[in-house]
Amino acid sequence: MTEAHPPGATVAPAPRAQRQTERVADNRRTARLRPETITAVCVFGISILLVLGSRFVSPALGSWDHVNTIILLASFLIVVAFGQGIVIMIGGLDLSVPALITLGGVLTTSWIDASSGMSLPLIPAILLICACIGGISGLGVTLLRIPPFIMTMATGIITASAALGLTSGTPRGAAPPILTALMKASWIGIPVILLFILAFAILGSVLQGRTSYGRRLTAIGANPVAAHVAGIAVRSSVLIAYMLSAAASGFAGMMLAGYANGATLRMGDDYLLPSIAAVVIGGSSILGGSGSFVATIGGAILLTALSTVISALGIPQGWRTVIEGSIILIALLLLRENTFAFLRRRLAR
Amino acid sequence: MSILATKAAATSHRLAPSMPARAKALLASGTGIIIVLYIILYGLYSIWDPTALTADTVLNLTNNAVPLAIAAAGQTLIVLSRGFDLSVAGVISLTNVIMAAYPLDGPLGAVESLAICLAIGGVVGLVNGFLVAVLRLQSIAATLATMIICQGLSLVILDAPGGTVADFISYDLTDVLFGVIPISGLFVAAVVVLWMICRRTAFGTGLYVVGADETAAHLSGINVKRVRILSFVIGGMLYGLAGFMLSAQTATGNPNAGASFLMLTFAAVALGGTSLSGGRGSVIASIIGAATLMLLQKVLFAGGVSSFYTGIFQGVVLVLAVVFGNVVTHFVERRGAT
Amino acid sequence: MSVSPPRLQAVAVTKSYGATTALENVSLDLAAGEVHAVLGENGAGKSTLVKILSGVIAPNSGQMRLDGAVYAPHSILHARQAGVATAFQELSLAPNLTVAEALLLPAMKRGAFGLVSPYQTARAAAEILHRYRLDDVSPIAGIASLSLAHRQRLEIARAMHYAEKVLILDEPTAALTDVEWLFDLVRSTTAAGTAVLYISHRLAEVRTLCKQATVLRNGRSVASVGLSDASDADIFELMVGRTEMAHGRRTHSFARETRSALELNNVTGAKLKGVTLDVKEGEIVGIAALEGQGQRELFRTLVGLDKATSGQILVGGKPVQPKSPRHAIAAGLSFLPEERKVEGIFSTLSTAANIVLPVIQNISRTGFVWPALERHSAARASEGVELNPRYLDFRIADLSGGNQQKALLARAMFTGARTLLLYDPTRGVDVGTKQAIYAAIQAFADRGGSVLLYSSELTELTRLADRCLVLYGARIFEQFTGEAIEERALVAALTGHSRDPAKSKREAAA
Repeated sequence: MTEAHPPGATVAPAPRAQRQTERVADNRRTARLRPETITAVCVFGISILLVLGSRFVSPALGSWDHVNTIILLASFLIVVAFGQGIVIMIGGLDLSVPALITLGGVLTTSWIDASSGMSLPLIPAILLICACIGGISGLGVTLLRIPPFIMTMATGIITASAALGLTSGTPRGAAPPILTALMKASWIGIPVILLFILAFAILGSVLQGRTSYGRRLTAIGANPVAAHVAGIAVRSSVLIAYMLSAAASGFAGMMLAGYANGATLRMGDDYLLPSIAAVVIGGSSILGGSGSFVATIGGAILLTALSTVISALGIPQGWRTVIEGSIILIALLLLRENTFAFLRRRLAR
Repeated sequence: MSILATKAAATSHRLAPSMPARAKALLASGTGIIIVLYIILYGLYSIWDPTALTADTVLNLTNNAVPLAIAAAGQTLIVLSRGFDLSVAGVISLTNVIMAAYPLDGPLGAVESLAICLAIGGVVGLVNGFLVAVLRLQSIAATLATMIICQGLSLVILDAPGGTVADFISYDLTDVLFGVIPISGLFVAAVVVLWMICRRTAFGTGLYVVGADETAAHLSGINVKRVRILSFVIGGMLYGLAGFMLSAQTATGNPNAGASFLMLTFAAVALGGTSLSGGRGSVIASIIGAATLMLLQKVLFAGGVSSFYTGIFQGVVLVLAVVFGNVVTHFVERRGAT
Repeated sequence: MSVSPPRLQAVAVTKSYGATTALENVSLDLAAGEVHAVLGENGAGKSTLVKILSGVIAPNSGQMRLDGAVYAPHSILHARQAGVATAFQELSLAPNLTVAEALLLPAMKRGAFGLVSPYQTARAAAEILHRYRLDDVSPIAGIASLSLAHRQRLEIARAMHYAEKVLILDEPTAALTDVEWLFDLVRSTTAAGTAVLYISHRLAEVRTLCKQATVLRNGRSVASVGLSDASDADIFELMVGRTEMAHGRRTHSFARETRSALELNNVTGAKLKGVTLDVKEGEIVGIAALEGQGQRELFRTLVGLDKATSGQILVGGKPVQPKSPRHAIAAGLSFLPEERKVEGIFSTLSTAANIVLPVIQNISRTGFVWPALERHSAARASEGVELNPRYLDFRIADLSGGNQQKALLARAMFTGARTLLLYDPTRGVDVGTKQAIYAAIQAFADRGGSVLLYSSELTELTRLADRCLVLYGARIFEQFTGEAIEERALVAALTGHSRDPAKSKREAAA
């Protein structure tokens, strides 16, 4: 208030007359409780309960080994969902995910097979290629104003076709040792992949929540018009988001190649819908502008934990899929805005 | 047609667009572009493949394109009202496996099967419509869930490709009438006729208004919920019909039969110039868009392009069509505004 | 006839959204053939009342009666069938319709087989257009091809067509150029016995048409007044809740000889027809204009949202060509946009994040955002606009409109720009917020900053501006300085182009 009232001003300070119009204001603690936080806690909570509860299903489940298996199987999805989450955050959708996973895997096995000595520098090279393909999607969306849905579909079809042509229909080769180690080795008794996912989770959440770039992405997703008016470089931010997503998919492809010690042309097909599902279960709005990577990871883990438990139960694939779909639906219904409003009102009392 | 600055009586205005104006509008809309594209492709096809103009080829092309065309017609309804319907894949798979797992033979069986397919699609559409219009979920997320559920149910009914579709359906419905008219084409013709009727009902107009501006639609007295629910229900029934026609064509069941339709219907809709943000487009254009996608494959094959690389061409054509459509619309709207 | 019930009666109508009460115990009587005004500031609850009466939303409590019978419309259509029709402020015409469809929707004329007949629809529409003297509109023209003024006329004509008993006009003259057209039609409508509810904040219009007015303030009905007995000042007091608000003109503390902070030389393009103006350091320059005179384009051009085709823009003496708001901010121009919800707030982000966003790179270290630093910066920025720092942690969507606007002003100032471009900064905010915003703008100018201010409220300009420019026909038409900035003179200049330009020139010179 020191600067607001220099001697020249003739206006009296505003009385606090606006109280009645501000009844929305509840107390600070509950207002700080963001929906993302609630969702993340819920999704992780359900996952943990599920794993603990699975002990009753089979003695092999609910153990530390089971947890490790879940993390291992979920790791691909987590990496893919990171990219998908960023694109969804800005109000887009990345349908090129399967093609880029395949491309990442195919390039890894075919190139590194040819020059096994150069595996380390080749990994960033492959990621760069994937990022460039994502860049094409980004350019189509920003410069040509093609809807993300169509643009990423087109780059997906093109990339898949290129991967097919590149391998003449049959991918050859094996994964480099470094990737096999990432997926299968342990370090002082802890699986490397667990450490990797932990590091990835921290880096991903910091990028989304604690960097100015992440802040810009949220703003663009929340209101692209306002973002432009507020002076944000919308185009370059969006472009980078698609590049990141493509690189993440490419890396998931490498991880899959390392895990299976080979690549197939259909290896990415099973990740498109789960990647969207994980983001949605994690509470992100499909329209963009909200969401947290931690909750998305929770979504990925929940989906994976569920499928391990269901397959242990001996339920056929069909019902498993039905249950998955129902869980997405329930999550959507619970995550509507009024649920949070209700929770907050309750907590505010 | 902009405002005519005259002081004459009301009747001096044209009450219907003039023929040149109509022709211009057709050319400017997605329909015009996609028709021209189709003709060019067919021209190329007939150069590269001498059998292109035989009745056999036409029958083949029609049979190939019909399931996608009908599914794309359904998708268009939802896209027009500014939505996305991913359940198309689930409904097609589900109806396909039901046709293969429980074949009903004879003409009567065909009618019963058709009714079952339409009912399944209608019910899924009703659920989608309820989730989107009443519970106000995002269409893309809600239909993702229903799609996965339908996909699961298909796997429950038939856990691996197999089964046989009734002979009457797989033979007679893929044949020709009077030696020239593909029967499957008649189904598409029926959809087109239904659409033209629909376009001239309150629902048809409502679809465009809701897609362009939901608030304005609401304030103009349109029942937005009913329009949305109806669009999902009719869309779902069309997916059911698409599943029926696909079964007739493949003669067998596959729990993943619908998966490829997910992206292809959107590609067909986009090729037809229907705006993915709603309010502009046409079912007919989407049908021709679907036919174009299928023709493109043949053309590329006839042109000697390795089947490995057809995807590259498809993707490029898709992007170019959308960009071209945007440019034309932009140009026309500019002209219209002045 | 003496005992006949009022045409429309609303008793103790209340509507709240969550914890916010938009309308509280509002009662209203409307006699047949009466034109009744509803007055109130932006956000007083006028629109909510309109929506309830026209069936868009249902009240939480209270009762409405139409000709004595219970009237509880559950949809627009239902209200229309009962004889109540509304011309909405936000114009309910979808752009992809034809005029005929827009007029007759959802019940278009049918031809053979019960199908909609475009020809019959167009013919019916042509009749309606003729009846409401809109013969210059073709029934088959697309809505998108019509000017804003024509769309507003169409909206009004449609409402009149369906309003057998009650016609509700919500700010009907916002985009209208020919007000007499409306007045004539309203008079003939009431002559037929229809009651008219006229919502406006333009007192002069209200006085020509209405005898009785209901004044709303903060969602409550504060008075029902006979307009002939009440002076403008009386009504104004009722609307804002306290008498003195208009006086207290800004003292001119800046020196006339200071340098120009912003100069425009013959800027043309995006509808602008050669705008020349300058804003000195420490000066507040007001822009007064009726709707659609190029003010929007002027501001948008300055921040690069529209493109200038010729002319020169100088910021601090240096020529700039703003390509985007980002460039404008870098050049020292900061913009407060018109539509808070559409162009301003990021509803999912906290208030603090909203305030610092445009210059987030300046308060982040090597690309990382430190919440403590962010909050501290935002707290500093919010001091200047009297925004309570406890709101900084809230999602901005949870704040009242007034506080959102304060946050946006804080954002504009926090960019460190030397020149603020404020487009209608007090649109839809309460009185307290207005005071705070005025104080912040003045303090900014007193510190040597320059302000280009467009406002739809003339009192705001007479009070804040050191100099006031009237924009008419997308060029600067008049200039008023100091004491000459006076409401009557401004009104004359706003509309006076065709009436008596010589007179308004003389007033300006005086």
